[in-house]
Amino acid sequence: MFENPNKAGNAIRGLAFLAAALCSSTAMAQDALEVWSRSGPQAAETYKAVFAAFTEKTGIPVEYLATVEFETQLQARAAARDLPDVLIYDQASMASYANAGMILPVVPEDLAGHDQLSEASWDSVRMADGGYYGVPFSQHAQVTFIRSDWREKLGFDVPQTHDDLSALATAFATQDPDGNGVDGDTYGMAVPGTTDRGFFTWWLSSYMMQRGGSFVTGGEGKYTVTVNTPDSVAAVEWIQNLFCGTPSLVQPGALTNASATPFFAENHAGIYQTGPYAIANFDKAPGKDKYEIIIAPAGPGGKTTLTERTSIYFGATSSKPDQQKALAEFLISPEAQSLGMTAPGQPVVRLPVNTTLNAAEIYGDDRWAVVADQLTDSQLMPSDVDFTTARLDIAETFQSMFSQCTSDIQGQLDGLAGRISDELSQQNALQ
Amino acid sequence: MTDQAGEAMTPLVKNAASRPPAASLRRRVRPQSRWWTVWLFLLPALLLFLYFKFIPMFAGIQMSFQKVRPFLGNEWVGWSNYAAVLNDSRFHDAIVHTLILGFGQSIGAVIGGLVLALLLEGASKTLWFVRTAAFLPVVTATAVIGEVWRIIYFPAPNGFLNSAIGSLGLDPVRWLEDPAVALYSVMAVGIWQGAPYNMVIFLAGLAGVDRSLYEASAIDGAKLRHRLWYVTLPALRPAMTIVLVLAAVRSLRVFTDVWVLTGGGPAGATDVWMTRIYSLGFERNQMGIASAASILLLIASIALTALALLITRKRAEK
Repeated sequence: MFENPNKAGNAIRGLAFLAAALCSSTAMAQDALEVWSRSGPQAAETYKAVFAAFTEKTGIPVEYLATVEFETQLQARAAARDLPDVLIYDQASMASYANAGMILPVVPEDLAGHDQLSEASWDSVRMADGGYYGVPFSQHAQVTFIRSDWREKLGFDVPQTHDDLSALATAFATQDPDGNGVDGDTYGMAVPGTTDRGFFTWWLSSYMMQRGGSFVTGGEGKYTVTVNTPDSVAAVEWIQNLFCGTPSLVQPGALTNASATPFFAENHAGIYQTGPYAIANFDKAPGKDKYEIIIAPAGPGGKTTLTERTSIYFGATSSKPDQQKALAEFLISPEAQSLGMTAPGQPVVRLPVNTTLNAAEIYGDDRWAVVADQLTDSQLMPSDVDFTTARLDIAETFQSMFSQCTSDIQGQLDGLAGRISDELSQQNALQ
Repeated sequence: MTDQAGEAMTPLVKNAASRPPAASLRRRVRPQSRWWTVWLFLLPALLLFLYFKFIPMFAGIQMSFQKVRPFLGNEWVGWSNYAAVLNDSRFHDAIVHTLILGFGQSIGAVIGGLVLALLLEGASKTLWFVRTAAFLPVVTATAVIGEVWRIIYFPAPNGFLNSAIGSLGLDPVRWLEDPAVALYSVMAVGIWQGAPYNMVIFLAGLAGVDRSLYEASAIDGAKLRHRLWYVTLPALRPAMTIVLVLAAVRSLRVFTDVWVLTGGGPAGATDVWMTRIYSLGFERNQMGIASAASILLLIASIALTALALLITRKRAEK
């Protein structure tokens, strides 16, 4: 084929051109500030609007990537030692990234507007060694979503206690609340029981706290494992009964479903404890007039739920410290925080971390006042130590117990407590 | 050029006999002067292989001896990653599940493929349509298959499969939820997906069976099962070799089906080698241990493939 040496030459030139093109496209990308967030397409739209406002204001272009495979893609970039400049991600991952040297320390006082954030917000991004590794961006507490139309049809009041909640869930599971004449096609609670990223642990933590139990207690980088104390065992027994009792109060397949959201959205389950990011979806289906958001019904341990936070991190390989800082300052400003709540898509700022703002007013929606209310009675999972392994282990152990309806809860929790202790002591985080 | 191409098509023996030695010598020299042409053709593929296969593989071997921390510097830990894998009881479970799943799926898919091939052999138009329909699972994305089967396996009494077995008077089964059943549910999906692929290979094998053998055996009074056992199966031996070797190679790497159906759950009942590696590497950030497990998987795959080849070759020699 290469009778004519020119052809071979052409091919080589072609390859060279391709290589050059690849290099130059990387060079072009270098000029923009590369920002990643773990978001689906709807939230990505909102982020885009926020970044467009940032670029307009500062002239700094942003190259934005929204991915739900955040960890996997980040691992690949970490291996190449070329991280995005700015990462916007769960607070829960800060410690593991900081320990791996992937994100840079932050000096809060250096950021304009840092005093508009609450002390609690800044505390959440402080590591056990006292250093700050993130900038708070969004916060919320998990709230309880209830199908108000089903509840009213069956003649129940808004549940105030766990007993009310169980009674309502039982009625949803057994009394044909959707009125389609078919029994057994509706379920009490939608539960995200997947162990993917240890997701189940987040859902469990609220009910553990409400039952007076806990996984670990402590703070400031030192924790005591409490998952096998009598209080926690009693709490787990109550939760296991939701799965293993008759009737089962959770949707079928809860422990392997990747997401519980469709069960609530598609008229199969009537109670769902999750974050307010679901509001945008649930307003479309089942419909804004068909559900209500309430403060968690109180168990023996109160009505505390899980606090979830999103923070801004600075990639360690970035060569643009000034632009990183400029973006963080913009993202905590009242302008960007409001935009993050209201731009078309899905709120990426659920409740503002900027204390000068009032969420319910900005949203024009009283349901957000409920979320703000619940936030005052909510608790963050340890994020100043790397809790990732413990979180996965908790999710896997609980999934294992509930799928087998084990009678040896104490034994399983003792084993789990041992593993969490080992993990924490490796990090020198055991009290 | 054309001349050379023509030569390549004709049998070697004929060439040697019909051509004067001088000419063949001259021609033999010519391609040698352009030895680099061959390499030039191979170069793109080799570069791609080097970059996307060999370099990552060697990086993987290196990482398997390290505690991997890209930003703090990797730490050499010798064999301790391998020790961690081999001493981890969850890995032992995963290996047992992999073997059960791999063995069950392979055998199931071979038998299923053979049955399909025997049923659907022939030239009629309808059969062509049915064969295409039967082949669809092979070309459908596994993620889609996972979702479809999750609907089929829905564990409520009104789930698709449960209402089907309910009409036979059987109790509903928690297909993917019950740790005692989940692995077999996953296996069934694997067989459903793998059998049509084997069917195609067997169909090609069946096309080569000498029809007169069937007639001769029928005249000798052989029943259907005799004909299958003494005529069809021996004739399918080469196809069987291919199918079994492919199955041996694939069985240890099973991942996607498990991941989309159960994610390794419930209670680790469907955790296999690859899901364990994924979880260690990407969920727990223990890249070193995950790499060690991957290298062990590579060694096991090579060993199994060699064994499969050895067995089938010995049989062929008999």
